[in-house]
Amino acid sequence: MAERASARRRGGNFWARRGRDGLVHRTDLIVTFVVLAITAFFYYATTGFEEVSNLLAQNIPPEFFPRWVLIIIMILALGLPFEHFVHRRRGEDIDSERSERIKRMPYLTAGLLFLFIQAMPYVGMLVSTMGICLTLPVLWGERRWRLIIPFALIFPLLVAYLFDRILLVQYEPGMFGITL
Amino acid sequence: MEPVLEGLGLILDLNNIVLIFAGVLIGVLVGALPGLSSPMAVALLLPFTLSLEPIPAVSMMAALYCAGTFGGSITAILINAPGAPPAVATAFDGYPMAKRGEAGRALGLATFSSVFGGVFSLIVFIFAAPLLAAIALKFRPPEYFALAVFALSMLAAISGKSSLRNLISGGFGVLISTIGIHLTTGVERFTFGVHELTEGINFIPVLIGLFAMGELLNQSQALDVAYERIRAGVVKLPTRKDLKLVWPTILRSSALGTFIGILPAEGSTVAAIMGYNEAKRWSKHKKDFGKGTPEGIAGPEAANNAATGGAMVPTLALGIPGSGTTALILAALIIHGLRPGPYLVRETPEFIYAIFGAMLFANLMFLGIGLVGAKTFSLITLIPRAVLWPAVFVFSVVGAYAGSGAIFDIWVMFISGIVGFIMLRHGFGLAPLVMGLILGKLVEEAFSQSMIMYDNNFFALFESPIVTALFVLTGVSLFWPLLGPVIRLAFPRPQSQGEDA
Repeated sequence: MAERASARRRGGNFWARRGRDGLVHRTDLIVTFVVLAITAFFYYATTGFEEVSNLLAQNIPPEFFPRWVLIIIMILALGLPFEHFVHRRRGEDIDSERSERIKRMPYLTAGLLFLFIQAMPYVGMLVSTMGICLTLPVLWGERRWRLIIPFALIFPLLVAYLFDRILLVQYEPGMFGITL
Repeated sequence: MEPVLEGLGLILDLNNIVLIFAGVLIGVLVGALPGLSSPMAVALLLPFTLSLEPIPAVSMMAALYCAGTFGGSITAILINAPGAPPAVATAFDGYPMAKRGEAGRALGLATFSSVFGGVFSLIVFIFAAPLLAAIALKFRPPEYFALAVFALSMLAAISGKSSLRNLISGGFGVLISTIGIHLTTGVERFTFGVHELTEGINFIPVLIGLFAMGELLNQSQALDVAYERIRAGVVKLPTRKDLKLVWPTILRSSALGTFIGILPAEGSTVAAIMGYNEAKRWSKHKKDFGKGTPEGIAGPEAANNAATGGAMVPTLALGIPGSGTTALILAALIIHGLRPGPYLVRETPEFIYAIFGAMLFANLMFLGIGLVGAKTFSLITLIPRAVLWPAVFVFSVVGAYAGSGAIFDIWVMFISGIVGFIMLRHGFGLAPLVMGLILGKLVEEAFSQSMIMYDNNFFALFESPIVTALFVLTGVSLFWPLLGPVIRLAFPRPQSQGEDA
């Protein structure tokens, strides 16, 4: 509160927004919390590592290295909310990639792909990849069926042939055993 | 000289040459397509190369890397959209020249300058490698540890939005590398009861997810972007008049690009921008820059391709990637059972020369491809995104699965893609994460071995002058943002008369 009041007295804001002065960058503060939460979780996980047997106890313990890495990440993350000062001085826009909200399409795309990967153990990889090639173009607004249907049928078959017959990678056949 | 000839002999095999040619073709295609990038292509190519011997596999990727850097210039010139980031500066003058109806001349200049820059950097390396080999002979675990720490500190310098974010990203990469069984004690770390994690996280799905799946999600936001394409016409080699004008620029940019490429963690994009700036600074026709001057094309193109050869030097000889793509090539080397760095220089120098020979071939190949096929390659931009990206996803799925034959790796790829998308949005670089992932194991192993050697006395590491020098360099690299203002205060620049006035 005191910092906020002092920043206001100096004519600035406590929260920095795009193109304005401010002490703390609001979005980066959230990013910092996320990074700290992840690192704290992993740090906690290091406390659960198994005990090392006496024979190997003279070596560096397994938690030593990850803990140092986590501490370094935590320290670095504390600088994130204030980094915008440096960028502003250099005339750079730290928010250029995230100035707009994420549109609906990445969520829908990720959702669709999630469904097909989820379905892979049941319907097999060949059918799943065909499904992706059929539905993703439609989701992205493609309506030229003469292009989509041959693409959805031929392209996954070609890739399957390449991997299955030439590179000898066996496709997941799924519950129904559908493969080349 | 013997390892050089032996190395060149290793790639003079029809199969290898066909694979290098395939790498060049894929590289030019990927480079020419805005959105598709060399790192993504190398990540997707990795599973295909698993069944190959290490030399043809890495040669193919190195060829793709060279050609991908050049390929970006095609769309930079014809549609003002650089297919790859290193071609950003090429568009400044390439597109205006193409708009003037001289697209063929612009493409010819770009091709010639790229090939010259690439060949120049490779020749420099072939002569410089014995020096590196001599230093490499002195490397033991403490030196490897110090070198890897230095490499991690250089993440701050990697081209990107923020040094801080690059370091955090690299830190997470190192953290991911610790997942699985601890080598010296056999204790499981961060596996959370998932047995697939016992062996650690597989590189390939992470790389494919970060670079391909992440970009797919990014592209799904830009479905309405359209490009205006200029007809390519016949691609012409530079005329004698053009050559006379650009020759000093090409030479200067080639030297500059090689040097920047050799610097760990700097890459072709920085080289291209510096090449363009230097071309402008030394030009007698500064006013013509931005309006389609040949020097504005030759400068960045010679520099960015010279940097590809340069960037392979720290990658192969020191095990420190010079760019995002070389980080993936480094991962490929590890996957193929090789240990990049001084060990590689010491034990198998002919391998390094073979890769450089492959890159030399690749440069000569894309001279032909650039002159004959640039017009055709520019047509790739006509492929609808709604078809192209599902195809990329199919390759991603199959590529992630190919390494282990487990659906689990497809999930790793998918999650990595979402993480990559979020990271890019918030300015965290993907290349540093990959570099952290690759170097993390090396740092920990070398540290553990050093501590066993010195009976857990950390300060004994400083007995080695190489370790001390590398730690000093690490300090300078980490604290450079703080040292810079101090140096400027201590040694202020004399003000010019103009500034006084």
